[in-house]
Amino acid sequence: MKPPPFDYAAPESLDEAIGLLAGDHEAKLLAGGQSLVPLLSMRLAYPDLLVDLRRIDGLDEISESDGHLVIGAMVRQLRAETSDAVAARCPLIVQALGQVAHPQIRARGTVGGSIAHADPAGELPAVAVALDARARVRGPGGERLVPAADLYRGIFTTSLAEAEIVSAVEFPVADDGAGSACVEVARRQGDYALCGAVAQVSTVDGVVAGARLALFGVADRPLRASAAEAELRETPAGEAPGVAAANVAQEIAFGNDPEVSAGYRRQIAAVSARRAIAQALEAAA
Amino acid sequence: MSTHTITVTVNGVAHTQEVEARLTLADLLRERLDLTATHLGCEHGVCGACTVVVDGHAARSCTTLAVQADGAEIRTLEGVAEGEELHPVQQAFWEKHGMQCGFCTPGIVMSLVELLERDPGPSERAIAAVLGGHLCRCTGYVKIREAAEEAVRLAAQGRSRGEAS
Amino acid sequence: MTGVFGAPLKRKEDPRLLRGNGRYLADLKRHGMLAAVIVRSPHPHARIRSVDASGAREDLRTVAVLTAADLPELPPLPCIDAEETTRPFNQPVMAADKVRYVGEPVAVVVAEDRYVAEDVAELVVVDYEPLPAVADAERAMEPGAPIVHEDTNVCDTLEYKIGDPDAAFESAPHVLSERFTTQRYAGMPMETRGAIAEWDPRTETITLTSSTQVPNSVKRDVCESLKLPESRVRVLVPDVGGAFGVKIQTYPEEILLCFLARRLGRPLKWVEDRWEHMVASTHGREQFHDVEVAYDGDGRVLAIRDRCVTNTGAYLQRLTLVEPFIGVSMLTGPYDITDFEATAHVVMTNKAPMNPFRGVGHVQAAFTMERIMDTIAFELELDPADVRLRNMIAAEDLPRPRGLGNVLAGEIIYDSGDYAECLRRALALSGYEEFRAEQDEQRRRGRLLGIGIGAFVEETGLGPYEMGSVRLEPSGQVVVHTGACTSGQGHLTTLAQIAADTLAVDPADVDVRYGDTDLVRWGVGTYASRTAAIGGTAIRNAAVVVRERALQVAAALLEADPSDLELSGGRVAIVGSPGGPSVNLGEIAAAVAPGRHLPEGIDSYGVEATDVFHPPTNTFAYGVHVSKVEVDAATGIVTLLEHHVVNDSGTVINPLILDGQVQGGVALGVGGALLEEVVYDDDAQPRNPNFMDYLMPADRNVPEITVEHMAIATPHNPDGIKGGGEGGAVGAPAAIANAVADAIAPGRVTATPITPARVFAAMVEAGVIEPEAARA
Repeated sequence: MKPPPFDYAAPESLDEAIGLLAGDHEAKLLAGGQSLVPLLSMRLAYPDLLVDLRRIDGLDEISESDGHLVIGAMVRQLRAETSDAVAARCPLIVQALGQVAHPQIRARGTVGGSIAHADPAGELPAVAVALDARARVRGPGGERLVPAADLYRGIFTTSLAEAEIVSAVEFPVADDGAGSACVEVARRQGDYALCGAVAQVSTVDGVVAGARLALFGVADRPLRASAAEAELRETPAGEAPGVAAANVAQEIAFGNDPEVSAGYRRQIAAVSARRAIAQALEAAA
Repeated sequence: MSTHTITVTVNGVAHTQEVEARLTLADLLRERLDLTATHLGCEHGVCGACTVVVDGHAARSCTTLAVQADGAEIRTLEGVAEGEELHPVQQAFWEKHGMQCGFCTPGIVMSLVELLERDPGPSERAIAAVLGGHLCRCTGYVKIREAAEEAVRLAAQGRSRGEAS
Repeated sequence: MTGVFGAPLKRKEDPRLLRGNGRYLADLKRHGMLAAVIVRSPHPHARIRSVDASGAREDLRTVAVLTAADLPELPPLPCIDAEETTRPFNQPVMAADKVRYVGEPVAVVVAEDRYVAEDVAELVVVDYEPLPAVADAERAMEPGAPIVHEDTNVCDTLEYKIGDPDAAFESAPHVLSERFTTQRYAGMPMETRGAIAEWDPRTETITLTSSTQVPNSVKRDVCESLKLPESRVRVLVPDVGGAFGVKIQTYPEEILLCFLARRLGRPLKWVEDRWEHMVASTHGREQFHDVEVAYDGDGRVLAIRDRCVTNTGAYLQRLTLVEPFIGVSMLTGPYDITDFEATAHVVMTNKAPMNPFRGVGHVQAAFTMERIMDTIAFELELDPADVRLRNMIAAEDLPRPRGLGNVLAGEIIYDSGDYAECLRRALALSGYEEFRAEQDEQRRRGRLLGIGIGAFVEETGLGPYEMGSVRLEPSGQVVVHTGACTSGQGHLTTLAQIAADTLAVDPADVDVRYGDTDLVRWGVGTYASRTAAIGGTAIRNAAVVVRERALQVAAALLEADPSDLELSGGRVAIVGSPGGPSVNLGEIAAAVAPGRHLPEGIDSYGVEATDVFHPPTNTFAYGVHVSKVEVDAATGIVTLLEHHVVNDSGTVINPLILDGQVQGGVALGVGGALLEEVVYDDDAQPRNPNFMDYLMPADRNVPEITVEHMAIATPHNPDGIKGGGEGGAVGAPAAIANAVADAIAPGRVTATPITPARVFAAMVEAGVIEPEAARA
């Protein structure tokens, strides 16, 4: 299981990287490599060129801007997970990252890589969707901000154009007193989840004031449970988990796949939503 | 197919090599530098046998390209013992029968060595998080957990001995 | 005797391995070495129209390509436990006109290194004509199913009958019928297979270094295949990173590599990658039992009928028939059941071949029988432990012939043990009664806890023989040669303990050598829990001869009578004469080295002996596992809380090492019970040949495992050792399955792996929970 031959470049600027992506060959971006290198080793991909982002300055910063926590694309998952700034400003990211694979993978895997890889069972894309994060994207046409709701189009498929690169992800800072949780159903710690839910809620006088909820592993992309969120607003905290579960069980269309039947997926999606909302409420002030 | 000149420091020794872009870090260590203690169990990042320490963090060498490690500091099992003396993690594995065939062991030792350097008094949860990244088919993990706890004890003793003198 | 035998000594193997000085197959390098890659069939069943290697051969990076057309007529790989009638099902060394499973070797490509070899292997063009394939064994038995070989997919059928089951069923107050299914899974060592073949033109010898458990068998097969006499083939074994049975036969790659190495005149290395391992190394376990069980109101089993079907894949490998037949012959386990009939069908499909791995056949037998016991208990509202006690063969009734036989091993005679006592101790060890109380309490709070028992008897200490030799060296070193091999079991320590015990030396002074067919002429190898019992006994016997000889020589040197001498601490002295004359073992060895006058009364050289121990029959280890689980009522996820084992492998050489063997076996059992499955689709395409989708148990999947040893000796060897390498894997799935069934009762468990989805479905069907969708 050795990779096929390819060329490799480690440009020093984003524009150079974009230029290389836009060239007349099959090029792939290399961030942490934890998803890409196994693919290459299994010879499931035969790119002509790998464009490594590691030498580009400015892609590995964590900062705050305009009510958003800005995490550079090349910030390693482990660094984000252990960052005080991330824990203070957007704890859901820390909770989600703690369930991504294992620390030895997170040491190399990147936040941007995970967001751009668009694995429907991935935790970070679900967080992005739940929180209305934005991807800072740079391409031949310049820079733009892509809302998470517009980012995910299908399995491993984003709305990014051919030569576009995510340079950073902007996550809205959590409200004071908000509580969050990431709950997944998996047969082993660190596996791709059978399904899971991320939730962030705030309460006023024991009643849900705001709720964000997204599911992963249930469809070809992360699912924002907007209908559930609407129902949760104004619901007493004690009833909220049940409301979330019922809504997920009823509103979402689940398909069968060879591994998991629709009925079972419905069950664990609803349970994940129930537990995520419950745990988020416990964490809320 | 491009080739690249890279410099990698392994166990404190710098090596400059010309490599194809597709050469994995694991194969750089095993085939070029004859450091074969780092084992390949799956080559897709799951089993953990290939784990080494890269710039201070335990990481898979099978899912890292050698070119990505240009300029990095790598530590492998061969560099863990200090001369004749075994590292507390190694000593603990011996005392507690934490290994059988030894194939997965190098990766686990590197993960625990790095953990103890970062956190000399790790919680059970922290140890479990690290061990979770390793597959073992022989031991059933029970004695690996015991070895990890013993390693923490031995490492603490070593430090307190140093402080007393 | 000396405090060494039975002691939990640290392993001698470890410091070297811990320092990174292991030398596994993939680590080895030879001057001028080339890399071989195997081109494998992507089809489960196809005719090979042509193999066009021209593109590969024209490429300058290619050193050689080998196809079936380049090979002489080679005999198929042997299946040693089968009859003549099954010969057509044996595996060819290379597919010539048909491929029968995904992964079957079709060509070999050689280049300077593995990366390049994989590149040029893609240039070999094989023209396949796909044929309909069959994956499911029942389907394969139906008329009109695709036929894997000729005429029929039922390669063999074994029938057993003892007593009068018909009469028992006629008068039975209760009968239960059920199908119990065990899935296909595999030994899956962390180190895959691999081999290096070298041709030496000076000695005209092939040296094959292989990650194997059976070097002498491999040598024999290479000699036969390539028509070479014995002295022209040498097989070496490096450090092996786990084997578990997956490495107990000669594989096509080993023969092909030897053939090519001779032709090319350069060393050739092949290292199996994980994908290859998952499709082309052997699998096991896939078997179901359709049972009918007659029982009475007290839970006594009166008779069992069993129709057992095993899916053995596309070819018979060396020992393929063991799993189908042990599955039925050992079904009744420790229970006094004397009216029994069984039919075991061996069915070929287009999956990879099956061959024994850790626990072979016993796992399915125990799972089936133990689920039967719990089902009877549930139906009669009796405690499962009581039902077992009522059925177990009493200790005083052993030895007991079962009226059945096993392939290779002959008649089944349970030799020694106390099954009921083992069960009682397991209940005490696990706090069974207390848990029952806790379980009731927690059920009121909506928590589903369960406790399950898994009792088993297991054939161990398999013959036909093993070789051991012991010799003394002038330095005082004791050198031991064994036909056993190690792949993590600590044999280099335990076997040293045996020799050290007899010769009153420190095990550190005993050097155990193995894995070289030039050194060990009549070795058999390590599998079937035989090394300690058979290999150890050979060493014990040889060491005893060496000790007697040493005392004889010492007597001559000390001018005393051998009966007045004592041996301790590596020295021989006269009894009752402290400070008096003595000699150490090294001096004894030096005294009878050639080139000097032999001592008075001694007329031969050296102090050494070789024993080839043929056990009279095999022994039967046994144990009882108790598993405690919690089932998440909402998701069906099973969490193992605790696991307890009372294990009887006979006399224990090193309890630390034996604990490790039991715990490792339990973990494999956890995998089999809950997580692992080699999945093929209906067209026999592998669906999960990687570690993301084939779920090995990880640290958090395996709970604390406490092990207690009952060490009732077997009469079949002087030390009374039975064998302990496999019991963990045998008892665990049964106990876990029963614990889950207990937690979700009346929800049923009849198949492994016990996936969350299956648990959920069972709970819903039994009305144990209400799904979220229903509540909504």
